[in-house]
Amino acid sequence: MSDGSPPHDRVWEVFRQEAEGDPMIHSGNVRAPDEELAMHYAREFYGRRQESNRLWVVARDAITELDDPDLLKPPFDRSFKRPGGYLIKHKLEAAKARAGTPAASEAHE
Amino acid sequence: MSDNAAELSAPTRDALAQLLLGIADDEFVIGFWDSEWTGIAPMLEEDVATSSISQDEIGHARALYEMLSELTGQEADEIAFGRAPDAYRHAALMNHARTDWAFTIARRYLYETADAVRLEALARSSYEPLAQLTTKMRREERYHLMHLDAWLRRLAADADASSRLASALRTLWSDALAIFSPVPGEEVLVRGGELPEPMDSLRARWLDQVSPVLADLGLPGPTPDDLAASAEDGRTRRTDDFRWLHGEFTMVAAAERGATW
Repeated sequence: MSDGSPPHDRVWEVFRQEAEGDPMIHSGNVRAPDEELAMHYAREFYGRRQESNRLWVVARDAITELDDPDLLKPPFDRSFKRPGGYLIKHKLEAAKARAGTPAASEAHE
Repeated sequence: MSDNAAELSAPTRDALAQLLLGIADDEFVIGFWDSEWTGIAPMLEEDVATSSISQDEIGHARALYEMLSELTGQEADEIAFGRAPDAYRHAALMNHARTDWAFTIARRYLYETADAVRLEALARSSYEPLAQLTTKMRREERYHLMHLDAWLRRLAADADASSRLASALRTLWSDALAIFSPVPGEEVLVRGGELPEPMDSLRARWLDQVSPVLADLGLPGPTPDDLAASAEDGRTRRTDDFRWLHGEFTMVAAAERGATW
């Protein structure tokens, strides 16, 4: 390998869940020759202080990456694709009134 | 069933103290030997793993010294750091210097597998605090065993590493058997169930488990000479290597006796 690491060393990305139901959050990575040792090292680096409920250990080269700016950051205005451009609040209140349930604004009073 | 030290008869208490001291010293000394890999293990990740496992062992020793303290009235720190080298009771396996990585893996493998058999038995101890503590320790030791097993198989698959492993095992077998040396007063403990089985039967179970695994990997088991060697002084003979380590790990405590931080 060009970076001088041993030939069978691979990088493994580690995702950590703090409590059951929490999202898996990327925590960092470890180097290891194979999955088994990667799991051991992930456990030491991201779980030895009882801070993790679950770990995902994924070989970096198994990850499909998409970073093409033409696909992710196309040049035309995309603001109309954001949900923020469409206000649903008043329609929702009207719908609730028709259905006989109090509108959200009243319920909070 | 005894819930605390005050309920034990004097002979039981003395024998139990001997048993605990041996186990605590095993964990304490192997923890210090292997912590010497901090900074120089084969890779950064392994460096962290080995150091963390060594800390676990010292943590187990601490819990055992504290339990011992309930029996003897002596402070746990004083037991850990206040004795002369000849008063330590670890098995002869822990008399050897760190040496190379294959040697460390060979020693740890022998130790962790023997410790697993011992802890499995002690989890059934009639001395309730010991049964509870060993049940907790087993949960951590399970990971240690997995880690060791992973390394043993990897080194065994490499010609050079495998021959280093084999030579370390040949050196260590007789001293590893000392883990199951008879404890002074053992028959009292077996009768009371504090030690649910005699050391001899634990030793036989350990050999039954470990020998086929090593044979499958082309690694040596104990020779008839190793098996026949007297285990009487297995926990009392000490070496210069250990005396050196003792000087290292007592250095801070010896600098100012009784200091707290």
